[in-house]
This record gives sequence, structure tokens and C-alpha cells, in this order.
Amino acid sequence: MYFDWITWSIWLLGFIIMVVWIFIPAREFKKLVQKKRAEEKNKVQHK
Amino acid sequence: MIAIDYIIVLIFLVVMFYMGIIFYKWVGSSDDFYLAGRQLTPFILAAVIAATNVNLYSFVGQAGIAYKEGIPIIWQTWTGNMALVISGLFVIPIFRRLRIRTIPEFLEKRYSKGVRTFVAILWIFRLSFWLGVVLYTAVIASQTISGYDSFTAWVLIFSIVVILYTILGGMWSVAFTDVIQFVLMLGSSLILLPLVMSAVGWWPGLTEKLPEGAMTLIKNTGTYDWKFIIAIFLLGIEWACVDQGLLQRAFGSENTRSAAKGLVLAGIITTPFALLWILPGLAARVLFPDLANADSAVPLLITSLIPNIVLGLVVVGLLSSQLSTISGNLNGVATIFASDVYENVINRKASDKDILKIARLITLVVGIGMILFAYLVPILGGAVNAYLTIIAIMDMPLFVIAVIYGLLWKRVNWQGAVAGYIAGAISGIIGQFIYGLNFNVTTFITAGTALIITPLISLMTKEESNAQIDAIWKARTISEEEIINKNVYNIIPKTFNGRLSLMVFISGLILFLIGVIMGSVGSPIASYLAVGGMIIYFVGGLFRTYTN
Repeated sequence: MYFDWITWSIWLLGFIIMVVWIFIPAREFKKLVQKKRAEEKNKVQHK
Repeated sequence: MIAIDYIIVLIFLVVMFYMGIIFYKWVGSSDDFYLAGRQLTPFILAAVIAATNVNLYSFVGQAGIAYKEGIPIIWQTWTGNMALVISGLFVIPIFRRLRIRTIPEFLEKRYSKGVRTFVAILWIFRLSFWLGVVLYTAVIASQTISGYDSFTAWVLIFSIVVILYTILGGMWSVAFTDVIQFVLMLGSSLILLPLVMSAVGWWPGLTEKLPEGAMTLIKNTGTYDWKFIIAIFLLGIEWACVDQGLLQRAFGSENTRSAAKGLVLAGIITTPFALLWILPGLAARVLFPDLANADSAVPLLITSLIPNIVLGLVVVGLLSSQLSTISGNLNGVATIFASDVYENVINRKASDKDILKIARLITLVVGIGMILFAYLVPILGGAVNAYLTIIAIMDMPLFVIAVIYGLLWKRVNWQGAVAGYIAGAISGIIGQFIYGLNFNVTTFITAGTALIITPLISLMTKEESNAQIDAIWKARTISEEEIINKNVYNIIPKTFNGRLSLMVFISGLILFLIGVIMGSVGSPIASYLAVGGMIIYFVGGLFRTYTN
């Protein structure tokens, strides 16, 4: 069976980008949510 | 499409709407609404920028041109990505330090309030029109792919959810949904690529069956020749430095370095992505060689090669590409109106709460305008193309006055800026519509006129100097925010690694330009040099954002 290195290399590159852009932004958003919650907590305590 | 496909699309839309509700709580100020509280991190920013820039024009329009003219149209995306790196390394850091929300706001700081209002109104008009065209394209593609013909139903599907989540969560929901949409559109393109390539006999089958020259990246004749690459690169730099829809996301970055990283990463990740819509366009030429309308190439591939259920996922990916572009531009128009027109001209004493209300109201009004305009597009027909050409003509002089002279030469004043802008735009209109010059030549004429007239009129009128201009010049080096947060980004590098990365970046740029110029004489190594140069350029640019 013929294996097309060019097409699958392009595909793999796209796949790696997709995986990286699932995990890193998810981690960064998680940190932002924690930060927002801490800010809200502080606001309530100040009130 | 069958019932399960429609259910997948429905679930996607409900999730997007839910995001708007979640982020509603996060919007406490106008800065939250416009700029996500200036807290966006590099990877989020990169996905947001990439999602906004990739839309159905890429999957339908560019793929259609690839169908007709071959692979060179890919340079429109690739040079745009290279331009993002230039903007990220040298221009955005200055704007980010000034803590502006819009480009018109910068124009007031640099020139005058009049210039700000004039450009703001122009941009409101420009972005609103663009939204209508984007919505129309989305509806037409959806009709073709789904086989469901109702124009109104598709208009409502696209617009209601996106308007609601943009109004509710502002830039927060735009950013979050953009990241999801970026992953979805990339995922659906990854489903499409192997199916399409196997249908044409993989890479050897594609290259053998295409007409001669279709795979030549740099041609020496034709509309998409080497001159096109230079012209589109110049326009790309202009777009990456002054486009409100794009820059607003960079202004929302957590700090200067993150803005630079976000733009550079966005440029890098969109580069291989472009192959995922250009290759299907080329494959369609092999599979359906006699299409009357090239724009239907990829929609036709999707309907004929992708099985049901998977089709629903691919449609969700295409919907994503469009929703992210619409939401970003909706938020951009609302920001310009609320910040540059309402707060600056109509009600200067407006409180932050008033501005937030106005921004939400304007998002709704522009959203309704977008729907109405989508109905007008088929009636206007050729006028739409003419309009898009005119705005392309009008953007280049804006880049000259805002970035080239606005950031590089203090002596240029508002009189010179206004004269340069108008003269540049008029020269472009005359060249394009009276002398019938092509797009490439018009770009050079427009830029050249603005470059000459702006300093000429400035030197004939009074020199201006004020604290705001001094602040702009100070922002070229460093900001107090960076010193306090101990995250300094120097545009001109100070360390060995920083200088080395800049050298790599410049070497890549030179190699790329040599390749493009060698393409003018039909050199067989031109494409290799240009692509190699581009890769070195990206490596240097990325390395630069991590060094000092």
C-alpha cells in the first residue's frame, strides 16, 4: 500500500497544532477562572 | 445532511450560546467587554487571532482561486502570516504600551481628534459592510453543503447565536468561543484532507493530473505572479498593523510580550493550516475539472466525499470559522462606536456603565444591520466587489499615516496625515477605476502617493509637539507597566540571544525576498528559497519573542 509522506506530514503538523491548542489554552483558561474567582472573593470580603 | 448532522450543529450552537451566559458575569467594565480585561495569554491570543482570520473566504474563495489558478494564492495567507510576525515584533508592542482600545484612539494621540472621528466613522462603515458579506458567504456555503435551501433560516442560525453571545460576554466570550472554534475548524479540515487526497491518488496523483504550472509557487507571469506576492505582502503588513478586528485582540493581551508572542504564534500556526484548504481546492480541479463556479469546489468536495455524521462535524467546523470572524468584528464595531464616537464626541461625561450599555446596544444594532445587509449583497452584485476594492485602496494610506509616519517621524502633523490619506485613496481610485490598473499596481500607487504627500504637506505647515506625541515616542522603548511586572520586551534587542534571533529573522526575510525576485525570471529554485526563507523568518521571529 502506498504511503503518502507529504500529505501525512502536513496532516500530522495540523494534528499536533490542534492537540497543543486544546491543552495549553485549556490550562491558561483554568488559571484565568481561578484568578477571577479569587478576585470575586476579595471583592466580597472587602464589602 | 441527515437528522444526526443537524443535531450536531444544534448542540454546537447551544454550547456557544451557553458560553455567552457564562461570561456575562465576567464583564464588569467596558475594558472587560472590549478587551477581556487585558488578560489574554499568548496561546489563547494566537488561537483567537487565527480563528478570526480563517473564515469561509479561505475555504471557499481561496480554494476557488486555487482551483482556477493553482497554488500561488496560498501566498495571500502565508504573507499575511509573515506580516503578523512583523506587527507582533515591532508595532503591536508600541500600541499595547499606550493602552489604547482602537486605532482611531491612537490617531487622536498622534494627530488630532478630527482624524480619530473621521477614521472611526470610516471603520464602522467598513466593518459593518464586511460583516454582511461574511454572513452572506456563510449562508451560501451552508445551502450548498446541507442541501437545505432556506436563506432566512441560515441567516438566523448564523446571526442570532453569535449576536447574543457577543452582547452577553463581550471579548471574554469571543475569546473563549474562538479557541473552541479554532480547534473545531482545524479538526474538520484534518478530516477532509486525507479523504480528498486519497480520491485524487495522493500527492503524486495530484501533481500529475493538475494542469502544467498549477503547483508552481512563484510564477513569472499572470495575475498571481511574483508581483502579486510582493503587493499582497505589503497589504498584509498594512492589515496586521492597523486592522481593528485583529488588533483589538492584541490589545487584550496580558502584557506587551504576550501580545508579541500571540501574533507570532498565530502567524506560525496558520501557515500549515492554509494547505488544508488550498490542497482540497487543487484536488477539486482534478475531480471536477469543468465547474462553472470555482467557489463551489470545496462545498462540492465536502458533499460528495464526506459521509453523514462526519458531515455534521465538518459543517460545525465551517460554521466555527464564520462565527469567530463575525463575533470578533461585531465586538470591534461596538468598541469603535462606543469608544471613538459615543465617548469621544456624543457624551464625553459618560460613565463606564453607560459606555458598556452603549457597546452592547451597538452590538445588537450592527448585528441587525449585518442581517439586513446579507439580504442586500445579491442585489448589489458587482457593487460589492467595487466596494471591497475601494476599502482596500483606503486602508493602505491609513497604514502610511498611522504606522510609517505615525511611529517613525515626529515632524508629520495632522494636516499632512489628512492630505496624505485623502491623496493616497484618490490616487488608488483613479488608478483602479479610470485607468483600469490591476490590483498589484494600484497598491504601489496608493502607498507611494501617501508616502510622498504626507511629509510634503507636513513640511509646508506648522510643526506640532505635545506631551501625547512624546508619550508615543517613549512607548517605542519601554513602559512602566513592564518594569513593575518585571516582564520587559525590547523592540531593539539588548542581549546576544535577542540579537541573534533578530539576525535569523532578517536573514529569513532577505532569503524570502530573493526567492520571490528570482521567481520573476522563472528560476527553478525560487520557490525553495522563498519557502525556506519564510520558515527561517518564522523561527527567528518566534525565538525573538522568547529573548530580550
